[in-house]
Amino acid sequence: MLSLFIENLRISLSSVFANKTRSLLTALGIIIGVLSVTLMGTLISGLDRSFENSMSWLGKDILYISRWEWFSDMDWWDVRNRPKMRSEYVNKIMEKSKYALAVAPVMQRGASLSYKGKETLTEIFGTNEEYMETISTDISSGRFFTRSEDRSGSRVTVIGDGIKEAFFGTQDPINQYIKIDNMKFRVIGVLEKQGKFLGLFSVDKQAILPFGAYKRIFSKRGWMRISIKVPEEKLDESIDEISSVMRHIRGLKPSEENDFAINQTKIFEKQYNALKIAIGGTGVFITLLSLIVGGIGIMNIMFVSVKERTREIGVRKAIGATKTMIMWQFLMEAVAICLIAGLIGVFFAYIISIFINKIFPSTLPLGLSIASVLLSMIVGVMSGLIPSYRAANLDPIDSLRYE
Amino acid sequence: MSLILLNKIFKIYHVGGEEVRALDGVDLDINENEYLAIMGPSGSGKSTLMNMIGCLDTPTSGVYEFEGEMVQDMNDTQLASIRNRKIGFVFQTFNLLPKVTAQHNVEIPLVYANIRKEKRINMASNALESVGLSDRMYHKPNELSGGQRQRVAIARALVNNPSIILADEPTGNLDSKSGNEIMGILDTLHRKGNTIILVTHENSIAKHAKRVIQLFDGKITEDRNQDF
Repeated sequence: MLSLFIENLRISLSSVFANKTRSLLTALGIIIGVLSVTLMGTLISGLDRSFENSMSWLGKDILYISRWEWFSDMDWWDVRNRPKMRSEYVNKIMEKSKYALAVAPVMQRGASLSYKGKETLTEIFGTNEEYMETISTDISSGRFFTRSEDRSGSRVTVIGDGIKEAFFGTQDPINQYIKIDNMKFRVIGVLEKQGKFLGLFSVDKQAILPFGAYKRIFSKRGWMRISIKVPEEKLDESIDEISSVMRHIRGLKPSEENDFAINQTKIFEKQYNALKIAIGGTGVFITLLSLIVGGIGIMNIMFVSVKERTREIGVRKAIGATKTMIMWQFLMEAVAICLIAGLIGVFFAYIISIFINKIFPSTLPLGLSIASVLLSMIVGVMSGLIPSYRAANLDPIDSLRYE
Repeated sequence: MSLILLNKIFKIYHVGGEEVRALDGVDLDINENEYLAIMGPSGSGKSTLMNMIGCLDTPTSGVYEFEGEMVQDMNDTQLASIRNRKIGFVFQTFNLLPKVTAQHNVEIPLVYANIRKEKRINMASNALESVGLSDRMYHKPNELSGGQRQRVAIARALVNNPSIILADEPTGNLDSKSGNEIMGILDTLHRKGNTIILVTHENSIAKHAKRVIQLFDGKITEDRNQDF
């Protein structure tokens, strides 16, 4: 049966290539279908990767206490009316919570940094010495500031890798003085390179100051959050405990609702999964639609092919082809068109994914590529079935007379 | 022993409520190495008879024995197998596959017979050589003359060593010179021991046969032997 298979393969390929334009136009639906499903996969793989990176940067075991609830539809005004976070809370939480491993207040604002005539606008953070425990990034050179430097209001700073690149290049920045809003600060450490958050904006351009100096120089007020590191396996208990600690600090009655928010990265995951389902759903919808349209196109062209080759079918039957053999011949032709279309689709997806990768780190998933080629072959079988069946059951005498 | 035995073969069509008897009780007995011509005007049923003998069609009623096998009860696969192994068709319009070479055209019945490639190539080359086309093996049908095409068709009919060669107006689309060549090949095949059945309405063609059957309105009206 191998020789028959090879013969059928040869017939189907020569038929596909003899009508190149027709085959290509017919296959367009399948090509687009495969292209959309594989590109969607590429996109999701990229999102997964940058999400994973960003999440590890945020840390799964960190709670963020602030007025503002992430991804909530709370009225801005209600949030605005909640009492502000205060730096006193930090000590109180440390005292009362048994789960809190590290507690760091974080204030943030925009500022202008300059060094020897070079200037850049960036975000500066004011925090305490426990901040490093609440982020996953390490110090690449130098050191972080100490508790006493924080208490005494020392003008020292830890800069992001981006600032180091911009100001010092390959030079050692340690013990150099940079200006933050025209105040001199001594650089004592550099954070390691982190890349882009969600693949979108860089977090490497930042400067971290001790809370004491930050408050004195820049602002006592302003927006503040408190980052708390808790044991990852005790996340839920920690949230409960810290929530009650905060209620106690705020002096809330049991009937009153929380006037603060405890955020965690899990909520990002929830949002992200919803986004993924949205992208995936759209992709699957487009794919199915174009595969159905493509399949109908293939079926149509197979009917034409059967009609055109009625006489050939008659001859083949006269010299010994069975119904099954004729059926296979046309089925393989339909599958061949779809297989080639699937391969073209994956090929283009691969080319496009290279370009996408330059903007947004992502790869074409191999499994999905194989699956989509297989899927297009299944479309070939399904759309080739009826035309092939019709070809197989043509009457040999009528077919031989067919002009 | 009879190669082909037709016993009270009827083929009845119903066209618009009317009964058409394409074959109306045909009895026919063909022996090995016969050279038979089936003649008759159009509509006489000679094509139907040829299709019946060629196992392309099954009778409405009657018994058809091919080398002792009962054809009338066979399914599609069995009929295809008989056509493949026992019968070689030669058509008026050649019916070669246009996109492949002469060699490949001749190989196709062997593909359906599931014969290995090396053996196929060998058998097809021999068949083409026997019709004098060894120098045209890799030409496609549109690069061949009408007579050459019909010779490829004969090679295709021969290649599986069939029990009979069934030629339907084999010279109908050829000029007289090519026609004579084709008839010469068929004559030679007969001399070598093949059984040949011709369907024709031309007396000059029928003259090549040893036995002539006249068909009229689905019935055999004459069955005579003739000499050259």
